[in-house]
Amino acid sequence: MRDFITKSKALYQKHKIWFNIAILVILVVLPLFIRQSYLMGVLCRILLYATLAGSLNAINGYSGQTCIGHAGFFCIGAYCEAILATRLGLSFWLALPIAGIVTAIFGGIIALPTLKMKGIYLSIVTLGFSEIVRLVALNWEGLTGGPMGIKGIPVPKVFGMQFSGSHTYYYIFLAIAVLFIFVTGRVIRSRVGRAWISIREDQLAAKSLGVQTSHYKSMNFMYGAFWAGIAGAAYAPYVRFIDSTMFTLDEGFNILSMVIIGGQGTLVGPVAGSVIVNLLTELLRPVGQWRMVAYGLLIIVMMWWRPQGLVGASDSILSGNTGKKRLSRKAKKGVSA
Amino acid sequence: MKKLLAFALSAVMTMGCFAGCASQQEQVPTDGNIKIGVLAPLTGTNAEYGKGFEVGTQMAVDRINAAGGINGRNLELVVKDSKGDQKESSDLCRMFGDDQQIMAIIGDFTSGACMANAPIVDEAKIVQLSPTASNPDYAGMSDYCFSIMGRQDGEAPFYAKYILGKYMGVKKLGVIYINSDWGKSCFDNFKSQCDEEGLEIVEAVNYVQDEKDFSSLITKLKAASPDVICIMDQGAVPQVINQIRGSGWTDIPITTLGPGTSEQLIDLCGENAEGLLLTSPFFFDPDDAELTAWKDEFIKKAGFEPTIHPVCAYDCVSLLAEAIKACGDEVTRTNIRDNLAKVDIVGVSGPLKFNEGGDITRQYLICGVEDGKYVVKEGFDYSKEGN
Repeated sequence: MRDFITKSKALYQKHKIWFNIAILVILVVLPLFIRQSYLMGVLCRILLYATLAGSLNAINGYSGQTCIGHAGFFCIGAYCEAILATRLGLSFWLALPIAGIVTAIFGGIIALPTLKMKGIYLSIVTLGFSEIVRLVALNWEGLTGGPMGIKGIPVPKVFGMQFSGSHTYYYIFLAIAVLFIFVTGRVIRSRVGRAWISIREDQLAAKSLGVQTSHYKSMNFMYGAFWAGIAGAAYAPYVRFIDSTMFTLDEGFNILSMVIIGGQGTLVGPVAGSVIVNLLTELLRPVGQWRMVAYGLLIIVMMWWRPQGLVGASDSILSGNTGKKRLSRKAKKGVSA
Repeated sequence: MKKLLAFALSAVMTMGCFAGCASQQEQVPTDGNIKIGVLAPLTGTNAEYGKGFEVGTQMAVDRINAAGGINGRNLELVVKDSKGDQKESSDLCRMFGDDQQIMAIIGDFTSGACMANAPIVDEAKIVQLSPTASNPDYAGMSDYCFSIMGRQDGEAPFYAKYILGKYMGVKKLGVIYINSDWGKSCFDNFKSQCDEEGLEIVEAVNYVQDEKDFSSLITKLKAASPDVICIMDQGAVPQVINQIRGSGWTDIPITTLGPGTSEQLIDLCGENAEGLLLTSPFFFDPDDAELTAWKDEFIKKAGFEPTIHPVCAYDCVSLLAEAIKACGDEVTRTNIRDNLAKVDIVGVSGPLKFNEGGDITRQYLICGVEDGKYVVKEGFDYSKEGN
């Protein structure tokens, strides 16, 4: 089994580009074969959450900061697009990047006072932030419509074609998810990404090697927030009606559970998490209220068996390795080689 | 290993999912059971209401089928759990839309979910009849959206004009309401009616869902020394009443809009509920054998006392049954919609007839609590008597 996996992995690495192109082609032509809008709806959800979980993974998985209030960023992005589109009549294509940038600015604002915090303290601050955003959306009636929400968000158009149903909207979610994975892949391999990873593994060591940790940490938060904002902005015209009840803490935990189950610190982890959680949601429907119990069990088993998640970074501190263990493992490797 | 394994796994799961679902072909059936989809939050924070939906709608279907069905065909419910989550509700709504066997949808519980579903039902041309959506914008979003909760531009002005203005004759009002789409809509309508009637709102405070401690708000109300307290909420009314009385403010009359004649309120408030005045679109009259039987049956099946929500869910089935009956042999989604707009029946929750927008303009009762029981103070025709 292990042999087979290593071999197929090597095969994948060898023809990486072709594999990726093949997957992309399958994803692009998929809607032509599926007539039910229900299935397309599930696929849209998977892609939306792949981006959301991926953006959370950029924070939690790559720089080791624990953000659990991701719904707040999602909320800002969605409201931003909805307000720009309904009040100012701005086109979706223009509102989308603006929403991303606005959310990134909020990400920066939350990152600044929390630079010296880590672990549970940072988590609680992000949790509080998420609730504050939701409550502002609920109470600022002049801007957000308060409890009435915003309805009639116009759907995106391009060359006279309307993205109105789940069949067409699928392509917007797909484009965003692909773009996100591509860009993040590049960022992770750049100096910035390496700095994030070094902070995750050992902040003190990173600092001693000249990494400006506070700078990179706030940049990391802004990057994650940016993509959550983009996902939110893409989501608002998809449902055409948003209100504050869509962005509760439950939503944040839902995104978090995908990252935990799928895996932290790899690009593919959150995608796998999104696929697993969303498909389980649909497949476990017959068991009714036991669905949530199954989630809980899955997360517990995951933390126990693979703390870094199903396809998370196994050579990292995320998988429960301490520095000592890693060193000894490296040493062993050296001997056997 | 990890990457490939993950992709392979997800690919297999996705394909399996498609293979399972892609095979069924759609044909509008002309005989056999008529299926109705029900979207209900069977799990999550609104699970209690979801259960009420399930039991309420099933009771109606059982009765209709026992009486021979509709034009010889039986009704069948397909209940799905939306968890009260807009995204899940939308997915399920699409599922119902795809399935040509489903002729109409009852649900969902929250306005948010219903409104997110509006473009989907509009596209699938299937009726979404919500027993509980209270957002005033909901029913107008599509021709296929209906709501029977009754808009607050009916009940809130009635509350201001008749209970407070005519029945009690008070002038200075202290208002406490929940900040939700429902509460906000209540308060706005209430306020404009008060301005018309010359009633003065001396203080208005609000709180968010799931709030437990109202003492600071009560202190604020007390400071404004109103003649009467008006509570607008559906869930937290007993807590608010108990905390008002508990704070030593025992001489202030309390009125409420929202909970209807909820038994739970009397259970939770006990003594404190005495003298409470409220408006309700319906009342479980203990002298009415039919209503009492309905209530007992519901308690037996659900294990708790019915509120207005399951009653509305029950009535939704009655409305759809009436609309389907009017379709005759041609039971199609669009026919059901057209006939539903014309239905005019008296349900358990009162007279039901849709207006242009797809909402119901209800009639209201004035009820009060006396000796731990609800009594009707003024009937449906109170508003019609010479003003």
